[in-house]
Amino acid sequence: MKLPKLLGLLAATSIFAASPLRAQDIRIGANLPMSGPNAEYGEQFAGAAAIAVEHANADKMLSKKLVLLIEDSQATPQQGVVAMNKLVNVDKVPYVLSAFTGVSKAIAPVGDKAHVVSINGGGVSPDLAELGDYFWNVIPLVNFEVQAFAPYLIKERGWKKVALIYVDDPAGEAVKKELEIHVPKNGGSLVTALQVPRASQQFSGIAAKVRESQPDVVFIASFGAQQAQIIKQLRDNGVKQQIASYSAFSIPAVLQLPEAKGALFPTQSINWAADALSQRLASDWKAKKGKEPNAYTANYYNAVMVFVKLAQALEKAGLPITGENLLKQRLRSASFDVAGGRMVFLPNGTVSMPLQLNEVDNGTTKVVKANLAPN
Amino acid sequence: MLLLQLLVNGLQLGAIYGLTAVGFALIFGSTKVFHVAHGASFTLAGYLFWWGMTALKWHWLASVALAVVAVVLFGLFMERFIYRPIQRHEGAFFTVFIAAFGMQIVVQNLVGTVFGRGFETVSAELSRSVEIAPNLFVAPIAAVAIAVGLVFYFGLNLFLARTQVGTGLRALSDNPDLVRIFGLEPTRLAQVAFALGSALVVPAAALTAVSQGINPGMGSHIMLISLAATIVGGIGSLKGAAMGGMLLGLAESVAVWKLDPQWSEAVTFVVLFVFIIFRPAGFLGRAQNAK
Repeated sequence: MKLPKLLGLLAATSIFAASPLRAQDIRIGANLPMSGPNAEYGEQFAGAAAIAVEHANADKMLSKKLVLLIEDSQATPQQGVVAMNKLVNVDKVPYVLSAFTGVSKAIAPVGDKAHVVSINGGGVSPDLAELGDYFWNVIPLVNFEVQAFAPYLIKERGWKKVALIYVDDPAGEAVKKELEIHVPKNGGSLVTALQVPRASQQFSGIAAKVRESQPDVVFIASFGAQQAQIIKQLRDNGVKQQIASYSAFSIPAVLQLPEAKGALFPTQSINWAADALSQRLASDWKAKKGKEPNAYTANYYNAVMVFVKLAQALEKAGLPITGENLLKQRLRSASFDVAGGRMVFLPNGTVSMPLQLNEVDNGTTKVVKANLAPN
Repeated sequence: MLLLQLLVNGLQLGAIYGLTAVGFALIFGSTKVFHVAHGASFTLAGYLFWWGMTALKWHWLASVALAVVAVVLFGLFMERFIYRPIQRHEGAFFTVFIAAFGMQIVVQNLVGTVFGRGFETVSAELSRSVEIAPNLFVAPIAAVAIAVGLVFYFGLNLFLARTQVGTGLRALSDNPDLVRIFGLEPTRLAQVAFALGSALVVPAAALTAVSQGINPGMGSHIMLISLAATIVGGIGSLKGAAMGGMLLGLAESVAVWKLDPQWSEAVTFVVLFVFIIFRPAGFLGRAQNAK
């Protein structure tokens, strides 16, 4: 087959594979990494959002069918802006799911200018609280995680010397900044901070530097496949100390890695048995994915459900579903009963949620501390 | 001791880079096709080896054989159905480059769709380091990587020097028309170059799957390194490509000794720029040899 024919066939396949859209549908967007090294997150986020859409449509929560349009950010700011422009200017969606700090910071001005709400369930940099009225977060940001985790590591476990390996992106920088404040504040010391490029895959030299610094605990602030590569290469290269991280560890690549057993990381506290909504999500997720749901599952499900509840209220009031009206409605009703419990939006668009400490344990996690309170 | 540790790590990394670069150099040197999809061969090989070892529970030799068959077929497919038609119609270097680059992305996404987009690794005792001196950790796989690199490199050189096909391949890189006069078929030789060059990524990919782990996006990085090693070593020289791969592996590893780890990959390209500016023909490039 000639190359043009092959490309034509691929294009046709993708066109016919897409869901049919009707003018009367209510459309929301998702700007997620569906390809590249962080696509594992995108699959997870999109899967959770798709279940929320299914539930909303099955329960006829809105007057029209809800449709989720997914664009590929590749977890890069440049591609994220391209995807956001398409969702805002071509698809005219009022509400976009976002992920990753770098992407979120890049797309926020586009959403702000067009009065389109962007809602993040994966990026954790504290900067994400300052991206304007139209940028919301359904995930506790990393400053809360580090504030809660540092006292546990240093005071409760006695691991005073912390080595940090962090990725050169806003999330990695944010973790470094928070550790630089909270490790000394709790009586510990940051013995080394090693920055790695996002695309780096070779960490044996990093392992040698970590060993040389003789830490009690190694904090990894990266994301995606790179985290798993760092863990494996640290262990293979003689680093035996405790491994710790932040909520980005909640992916199968890390949880299923034998070398990651025992690693500690905080996430927001999720009670999957709390109510019928949480149980339904957990059950459908397990049926579709064959594994336990995690905090990201709840975040992206909840991100869609927040839209559905706001849109329901707007429809009831006879108002159009626009980004501007969604924002006004959220300011009127900041509290939502969503999967995992109650979520309360703070005025700056972030959420206040309890945290828990998890330990990686043979492909899944076990909760080692239920209420991890910020210091 | 840190420097010694980084040198040992660099030798292991250099052996992997060298093997991949030699495959690329063989293809480019013989056929003048800028086979950017060589990185896709690496990804395919890594994933098929991992799949054979973990999902099919095959012996490592069978898993390697599976990867060899697949990447050789992939290399032959690229030569026959992508590059040859382009060269027949217009032969533009840029068109070949874009087609190969596109295939690299297609393979990356196909691998991600079929095998998942996460990180995978083959768990083996070979990759676990032991402390052979105070704070000097060496994994058995380092010795394996260096030995495999040497065996394949010298094996390939023997093949090129002692066999008729090998002589034909060397002649193809110099003058395809002359090859035809001597009764050899350039297209057949080009296929041999693609088959051999592609097969050479298999040991490197298998070693990477065990020592570093793999993900669908890894091909682009390894391709960049192969390309840089080929230029540093001297385009057209297999020995140069092997030396270039080893130099870049050592540079990437040792950079961490005094520089921030952020610079470790940038150092690879600093080495490349130094060669481009001060020794554009590389270690053993044609321009140097021709003097």
